[in-house]
Amino acid sequence: MDEKGLDLFLKRILKTEEHEISCSECFDLVSVYVDRELSGSLPDRAMKRIALHLEQCRACREEYEILRDLVQYESSRQIPSLQDLLRSYHPRHP
Amino acid sequence: MPETEQGNHHLKSRTNGQWLQELRAGGTIQEQAIAELRETLLRGSLYTFHRYAGEVGQLDQDQVLQWAEDCTQEALVAVLKHLADFRGESKFTTWAYKFAINTVLMAIRHERWKSVSLDELEPDHWNGSHSDGSMDRITIRGEVSEILRVAIQEELSDKQRQVIKLIVFDEIPMDVVVERLGTNRNAVYQLLHDARLKLKQRLIQSGFGVAEVLELFSAR
Repeated sequence: MDEKGLDLFLKRILKTEEHEISCSECFDLVSVYVDRELSGSLPDRAMKRIALHLEQCRACREEYEILRDLVQYESSRQIPSLQDLLRSYHPRHP
Repeated sequence: MPETEQGNHHLKSRTNGQWLQELRAGGTIQEQAIAELRETLLRGSLYTFHRYAGEVGQLDQDQVLQWAEDCTQEALVAVLKHLADFRGESKFTTWAYKFAINTVLMAIRHERWKSVSLDELEPDHWNGSHSDGSMDRITIRGEVSEILRVAIQEELSDKQRQVIKLIVFDEIPMDVVVERLGTNRNAVYQLLHDARLKLKQRLIQSGFGVAEVLELFSAR
């Protein structure tokens, strides 16, 4: 583990709380978290617990980041077309 | 009209209540709602593949589209199965998207790691040395590193040590570890949490204040 990785691990250790929500609980509430975050609502206790879980859990955080960005696109009516999204990949070989 | 704005302008705009009502309506109303939900989820699936294009190798557009459609179908089934769980605290589409994103990411992680045996991973390389900062800071960081190294070896259970190694040190995605160990995500997260708690308590017992160490390891 490199220095940066150790720093991140240590921060996670130090921010650990006695009771943290599970991945299932985070999944149940992440859509609420995203909508409230994008609307600028102040976080309540439940939302803060989700935020902590997202700091600690890489898998949930990756899902959250994509959801947040997708919803942001949708709300600004800039959601990419299917063709745009497929452009990251090359066309089928003839 | 720019292509991006054409993305979903043809989809009917629904309130949460309308989504729930029409998805349960039966007949052509239900069919139309399901079709539009599917298209929404497909967009979520493709967006996720787009974000992780570097992880899925040399796939062509047809292969990605097929994969996305497979994941979309799986997500659609999950959404319809869990309709009663939707409490209306978020937008319905936000709630539904997460099923597609979760399905795609799990598929990508599985595919990316399927050929890697966890037993073949290299043993831990704990690099406790630090080069940044003053001599005092370097010394203290070294002490903290050593405390953690010893605590991991002596205070964690075998399972806790195993998941710390795999997820923290080897950076194996949690879904892959879950699958290989034949368990579930909550159980693995609980092991990680309990391990972190033990390590935190060890640091505090060793005389290091939480705020002090956070400041030390945050400063550059």
